[in-house]
Amino acid sequence: MRNARGYGSGILTAIGAFLVLFFTVGPIVLAIAGSVIPDRIMFASDRGLFDEVTLENYRYIFTGEVPPAYLKSGANRTMISDAARQAPRSLWNSAQIASAALVINLLLGAPAAFVYARYLFPGKRWTFMFLLLAPLVPTIALITPIYMMLQTAGLVGSKLGIILVHSVKALPFTVLILSIFFRKMPHELFEAAVIDGCSRVQEFTRIAVPLALPALAATGLFAFMLSYAEFMFAMVLSGEASSRPASVVMAALARNPDVSWSLLNTAIVIAILPTIVLVTLVWRYVLADLVRGAVKG
Amino acid sequence: MALRRLLATGAMVGSAMVGSAMFAQPSAAEDITLEFVVWNYSLDTIQDNARQFEEANPGIKVHITDYTWPDYQDSMLLRFRGGTPTDVAYVGQDWLPAWAAAGFFAPLDDIAPPDVLADLKSDMAPFALSDMTYKGKLYGLPYYADTISLLYNKKILADAGITVPATWEELTAAAEKLKAGGMEHPIAYEFDQELPNFWDAFVAQSYGRGGDLFDADGKAIFDNPDNPAYKQLEWLADAFKKGLVQQETHESKSIPSMNAGKNVFTILYNYNLAALNNAAEQPLAGQFALAPMPGAAHATLGFTKFYAITAQAAADPARAQAAWKFVNFMDGKPYTVAKRWAVEKGLGFGQLSLFDDPDVQAAWNKWVDSAVLKQQVSSARNGMWMEWTSAWAAYFRPLLAQAMVGESSVDEVMKAGAAKWNEYRDKMAKN
Amino acid sequence: MWKIERFPALWILPALLPVAAFTIFPIAHAFWTSLHQVSLLFPIVEFVGLDNYVGVITGEYFVRALKNSLLFTVSAAPAVVVLGTAVALFLKREFFGVEVLRSLVLLPWVLPGAISAVLWVWVFNPSWGVINSVLRDLGLIHSEIPWLTQPNLAFFSVTVAHVWTQIPFTVILMMATLSTLNPELMEAATIDGATRLQRLRFIVLPHVKSIAVVLLIYNALTAFTSYDLVYAMTGGGPGTATTLLAFQIWKESFSMYDFGAGAAVTFIVVAISGLLIVAITRALPSGIFKDA
Repeated sequence: MRNARGYGSGILTAIGAFLVLFFTVGPIVLAIAGSVIPDRIMFASDRGLFDEVTLENYRYIFTGEVPPAYLKSGANRTMISDAARQAPRSLWNSAQIASAALVINLLLGAPAAFVYARYLFPGKRWTFMFLLLAPLVPTIALITPIYMMLQTAGLVGSKLGIILVHSVKALPFTVLILSIFFRKMPHELFEAAVIDGCSRVQEFTRIAVPLALPALAATGLFAFMLSYAEFMFAMVLSGEASSRPASVVMAALARNPDVSWSLLNTAIVIAILPTIVLVTLVWRYVLADLVRGAVKG
Repeated sequence: MALRRLLATGAMVGSAMVGSAMFAQPSAAEDITLEFVVWNYSLDTIQDNARQFEEANPGIKVHITDYTWPDYQDSMLLRFRGGTPTDVAYVGQDWLPAWAAAGFFAPLDDIAPPDVLADLKSDMAPFALSDMTYKGKLYGLPYYADTISLLYNKKILADAGITVPATWEELTAAAEKLKAGGMEHPIAYEFDQELPNFWDAFVAQSYGRGGDLFDADGKAIFDNPDNPAYKQLEWLADAFKKGLVQQETHESKSIPSMNAGKNVFTILYNYNLAALNNAAEQPLAGQFALAPMPGAAHATLGFTKFYAITAQAAADPARAQAAWKFVNFMDGKPYTVAKRWAVEKGLGFGQLSLFDDPDVQAAWNKWVDSAVLKQQVSSARNGMWMEWTSAWAAYFRPLLAQAMVGESSVDEVMKAGAAKWNEYRDKMAKN
Repeated sequence: MWKIERFPALWILPALLPVAAFTIFPIAHAFWTSLHQVSLLFPIVEFVGLDNYVGVITGEYFVRALKNSLLFTVSAAPAVVVLGTAVALFLKREFFGVEVLRSLVLLPWVLPGAISAVLWVWVFNPSWGVINSVLRDLGLIHSEIPWLTQPNLAFFSVTVAHVWTQIPFTVILMMATLSTLNPELMEAATIDGATRLQRLRFIVLPHVKSIAVVLLIYNALTAFTSYDLVYAMTGGGPGTATTLLAFQIWKESFSMYDFGAGAAVTFIVVAISGLLIVAITRALPSGIFKDA
């Protein structure tokens, strides 16, 4: 790392870092604050926000113990909802569904991306164009027919149906992005491999895949995230509460008048925490390589 | 390389997850399992009620699927178009005509014993009975029935020396006085044009003035400048223009705002008063009260959400009987479940005799003046629920919103709305 | 590029077939529906030609929704790509805490739309939102700014929220692309006396151009066809201020029970998306479709 820049640059960096931090993390800090401030404090204009910081909402979600304020006489039980208690479980469901989508995307998408990137063959142009154009169709337009297809196949109300849809939704992007990466690989490597008598499968598994590992990981994560955040299909295809992914459970909470603002924020924080672990892992193992690679050349 | 190991582990974990997801299908039971579809308001109460039903009725299981309120109608349409098994579902008065006409639901008259049904009907509020009836047949029993009312902060009003407004003009005057006293937006208004509530609340306000929005033949007449709805939209546009109104996207946002003392008036479903006066969460709990809808008539809109049995279930006699047992448990005598909703959550009911129930009275006295409430409920009128009302309202609500915020004129909006209504009506008559 | 004489079915079809299955039947289904009367209210299904299209285009909301969607697309998509690229360039530098920052930047990406909507409502809510509270405490405003209820401000607010959710993906792909930049080139340029701006202009930007076009197309499509965050924040209002065309597919079908009209909006959206792609690739020729 070279650093020939002066103090002015250091301050600019600090300002830049602060702006980026503020824009990306600011709203999330709000959720954390909201989760520990009861509504009665939050919305009372005459009380200090941090007068009564409490973890009672977290306790409720994990143990089911109703916050004491609700047990007072005169309090009816509105604004506390069992739906919030589905949040931890839903994260596990999401992880299952999204991991499956990730694996399926890499297994099906990488070989196709490889031949698209490195070979000319009959039918290449129109099949690739088809893959490019497929995501053009708005999701909402596909819901009714796809729902009917999956209903016929008996997959409505199961995770499998959601996995299928999420995988297919991400596949065109997986193929497109990976083919760009595969094309950027030096031609000479593959020529040498052919001279050594490598088959196409060997070129793929021995040269392309190892070289593209960071790209594969990034693309796989793209499929993962697409699935993790997708709501519409997840909502119409998911079954009982215990098998729902986080997007559906969180939307149900966010749009439910029965849930207090602090309880909603608590569920949001619980949904965000594992994703912080996730993004840290992503950087540590996947993207850090990318950046370091550049520094080393 | 760390990355490669991580990827390999990831792939293994991933495949294991795919595997476990594939085999995590629910196993089929030998009992009848009723598919019960609800929106998720207080899901834990619904689940608990269903558990109690299962205990009392061995051999019948209830499987609950819930959607959010904004997604409910869409999800139901998908279920019906896709043929997803559904036995009992929540239905709203605005959806019933279209859904019954399309053959999604079966009348209770075909399923339930006539004497039991007649007995239940005799105790029902007239607007609730009418809300659940399509072409002379009863399609459900009420989950809850309620009205839309003017809710206000009695303390702030008393402190400012203002009496409870009895007309819309008095309400404007009160709001202007409060605004002059430093309150930015004295009126909180639920403003989400995508929710059916947006039209319902407007109708309720118009009913306060008296008169009809439709003539005896069901033709729209609210484009007449003398019509109460026309006048009410003018009133709303005026209140918005004067900056008296704070728009909130949802009642759940109005409640904290009112409880921060930022607003004094709002027009919402009655059960919101229970939330406003809820001592556990709300700093100003106890300060809120309900007033009769302003206007000469003081009438309001009543509405009913109810349990209905699908045509799918009705086609199989054993299933139909199980479904009826469940509906009757949820809402038949002795009204245990309806009473529970009333006591725990402040939901209104279609069964008039519950007004005299001591438990209900004890619970409700904590948040509402029962006498005022009873008077408001007895003045409740039905909406105009035709097959096309819900579709038409989806078209009209954004127009209504435009007129309120001053993007279109009241006249334009009312003319366009009435024309579209009559177009639907004529097209339906031909079909 | 080598030639294969036969179509490499084993390589391609595993990816192509599932996509085809989930696209061709639904599109055919939607196309058929768009030419018929398919409505809950009028149970007789009959061929109506282009009536549904005409009905949609002459409808009350169409022009406004189309304008909104296009404006949303042309503001959000370039904003995402430009901001994303800027953040990527910034995060490639090494400074104290950059590792943490790099991770945190990804966060908005992993949040389901419903959560993002809640967070941004909290930021923008006129009465208890953070922006207004801060401005008020600083004494900069005396009355509330109606971020979500005044037409232009509402449009601005939902665009900001949408951009926020889309930036991380751009950052990742951009950083991945930047890492393939040959450092010797930069080195050489520096020795030749190129300023930082010149290096950006003549080396970095040409290098990321093709991925930028892909990202621009992807973001344009996302912006043009998505609506969930916007609807969670404003419901398309006030009035029609944030009504997007893609939402009308849903609304016509499920709120107005007219599946024929909903399908007609679908094909209008698809056609315009196609035009958008062509326009973007024309405007920024980069060769990504060459020999593809």
